[in-house]
Amino acid sequence: MFGTHYKLERYSIGLVVAIIVVASIGGLIEIAPLFTIHETVEKAPHMRVYTPLELAGRNIYIREGCYACHSQMIRTLSDEVERYGPYSLAVESQYDHPMLWGSKRTGPDLSRVGGKYSDKWHSEHLNNPRSVVPQSIMPAYAFLKRTELRTVDLSMDLAALKRLGVPYTDAMIKNASDDAKGQTDPDGSWADGVRARYGEATNVRAFDGDPGTVTEMDALVAYLQVLGHLTDVAHASEPGVSK
Amino acid sequence: MTSASHETLTIFAQSWGLLYLALLALGVLLYTFWPNNRARFDRAKNSIMNDETGPWA
Amino acid sequence: MTVAGRHDPFGIHGIIVLLTGLGCAFCLIRDYYTPEPGADRLSSYYDEPIKAGILLALIWALIGMFFGDWVAWLLAYPQMTFDADWSSFGRMRPIHTTGVIFGFGGNALIATSFHVMQRTCRTRLADQLTPWFVLVGYNLFCIIAVTGYLMGVTQSKEYAEPEWYADIWLVVVWVAYFALYLRTLARRREPHIYVANWYYLAFILVVAMLHIVNNLALPASLARAKSYSLFSGVQDAMVQWWYGHNAVAFFLTAGFLGMLYYYLPKRAGRPIYSYRMSIVGFWGITFFYVWVGSHHLHYTALPQWVQTLGMTFSVMLLIPSWIAAANALLTLNGAWHKVREDATLRFMMVAAVFYGLSTFEGSFLAIRPVNSLSHYTDWTIAHVHAGTLGWNSMIIFGAIYYLVPQLWKRPHMHSPALVEFHFWSAIAGTFIYVFAMWNSGITQGLMWRAYNQSGTLAYSFLDSVMAMHPYYIARAFGGLLFLIGTMVGVYNVWRTIQAAPAHLTQTEQPALPGSPQAAPLVGS
Repeated sequence: MFGTHYKLERYSIGLVVAIIVVASIGGLIEIAPLFTIHETVEKAPHMRVYTPLELAGRNIYIREGCYACHSQMIRTLSDEVERYGPYSLAVESQYDHPMLWGSKRTGPDLSRVGGKYSDKWHSEHLNNPRSVVPQSIMPAYAFLKRTELRTVDLSMDLAALKRLGVPYTDAMIKNASDDAKGQTDPDGSWADGVRARYGEATNVRAFDGDPGTVTEMDALVAYLQVLGHLTDVAHASEPGVSK
Repeated sequence: MTSASHETLTIFAQSWGLLYLALLALGVLLYTFWPNNRARFDRAKNSIMNDETGPWA
Repeated sequence: MTVAGRHDPFGIHGIIVLLTGLGCAFCLIRDYYTPEPGADRLSSYYDEPIKAGILLALIWALIGMFFGDWVAWLLAYPQMTFDADWSSFGRMRPIHTTGVIFGFGGNALIATSFHVMQRTCRTRLADQLTPWFVLVGYNLFCIIAVTGYLMGVTQSKEYAEPEWYADIWLVVVWVAYFALYLRTLARRREPHIYVANWYYLAFILVVAMLHIVNNLALPASLARAKSYSLFSGVQDAMVQWWYGHNAVAFFLTAGFLGMLYYYLPKRAGRPIYSYRMSIVGFWGITFFYVWVGSHHLHYTALPQWVQTLGMTFSVMLLIPSWIAAANALLTLNGAWHKVREDATLRFMMVAAVFYGLSTFEGSFLAIRPVNSLSHYTDWTIAHVHAGTLGWNSMIIFGAIYYLVPQLWKRPHMHSPALVEFHFWSAIAGTFIYVFAMWNSGITQGLMWRAYNQSGTLAYSFLDSVMAMHPYYIARAFGGLLFLIGTMVGVYNVWRTIQAAPAHLTQTEQPALPGSPQAAPLVGS
């Protein structure tokens, strides 16, 4: 009696083990080698990280599900390169936790949208897309301008990303909240700190047109304006050639 | 990982990987068509047709 | 949670968890004083959790499909919403996907797996409390997920949007589910484990594996909902689509094939055409599916060899998929008159046909040159909905129409005519939806790559958006038909439950003494 029961047990456990083994092989072979991939693909020595304001904007982009309709991955196809710019390289999203490549283009690709439109255009477009593009089907995000950005937590976000390998310095983490405010106020006292920590090329502007309060609109526009500008390796003469 | 090991991986996949795939398929087919298993499968196939009463009736 | 997350949606989730916990504690304490059940309890199947699971699945179907159709109308008429953060397309869309896949599909899978495992093992569920823990816990996960989206809590991983605390909770629930399944299998009074259980077991196991790896993330703070994925860039993309496609494989295929391999033979009154084919198909699907995720990343920055592997295995996957579909349809050979007369069996038949069609389409779309046209377009949406509406929903509704009269001990559904109505509105809705999205997807793809004679791009992106308008209206209308069908189905189920039990008309049912009292947690 005990013997048969034991055999039955072995049968179901055997099934479980077989399923796990058979089902994990494909994943292991495809995923494991990718963790060393950054050693073989492009290098981007001068790639900068997102500022706290841009990171906050990125988190709003995630929160509002923008990735469901906008991709950030230009494929190696001639019409895409012509429409959106040089095709995306793996290194360009190396600091993106998580990546936002997307899978659907209900709206256009945004990986190189930074600098294509003015801050004012973005601000009005997000507020009511149809005021700028009458045929647009994008949702209106009027509440962004009304909502003040919560900046006190940003140090925690930077610290978490640093633990995951994004090269934020201790000074960046310590000043994250002030830097978020400083980036929207070019004449204020914190603006110089942002430029010193993140580079002279950093956009320091009142993104939503109002230098007073830091709104979620500031953050999202700051993020959109830096897309495609963290590094310029993709614009090099022979993009994608491994060096 | 260097490009050499990418190559190694490809070679590995085309030899041992293929062998593994073939063996796996063979194993599944053997199990499925093993004559002794026939009665067991036939019993299982028909067993669901009257299971509402359970073993108690 | 409630206290720590005062400034965050985290706090509201703390309150929801607290209330659920209190509710469960109340039910347990109330039941503590009921008399000890007699030994005869062990000689009946434990059907109460199955009933609850079916009702929960139907509630989620209504929620998920309602939001799905709302956001579908938003794509045609973007102003049809409120000026509030929660009601924008981006926050409501994941309610649709989570509601239908995890709420509707997941509850249906759990309920039918409880049913199938007891019947095929000829034994009672291994535990009185665990089934309720699994059901309540799983639905708490779904509620946390869906309310989170409204408040903007998401980690943006497609089909894995819930944040870290919900993910951890799901792991706990899932381990209990797995243990319950194994314990019930261990009690079985049949030497062989029927193949439907293999599929359910693969569903439970592999989903656990996928869920844990894909959701590895570092919370920004233990008092906040926000976390950052352990992976970034290309690795994250591969992990995400390894998860994403295998969620299709093991959530929406393996578990549902388990359903098909049990309910279709039962309803047709004929054993499965070939038991051996079902075994070969099982191992084929389990092995091939895990390789194919990378076909979501053709022509991207993912290394080419991974893309090629994904494409190759996607094409090979067609073999076990069609084995399963053929097996189901061949089972119906000799029972076609039943298919004609019985809408319930017709639901299952159509499910098998759509399974065959959408797996063919899937393998086709995974071929790189085809994918260059179809990717990023509505063609993908057409493919997904051919699978989810045509295959998953149809088999669930077939199983529900089979189960409801049996579990509630009624001679038949309240209104067979309404089952017919549901069938035809679901079919019409699916066809309209899928054809609209095929048209829009292919149009989009062709417009994006069209050049004019001077060698420049012929259309702006906006041109393609405007061209979609009629298709988006048609799609939303198709979805509405499907939703109406579901509403009719829910009404029919409700009326069937309300009708007087048919004690005397039952011949097949065993006497189940005291089964209504056997429900400790939900007084249904």
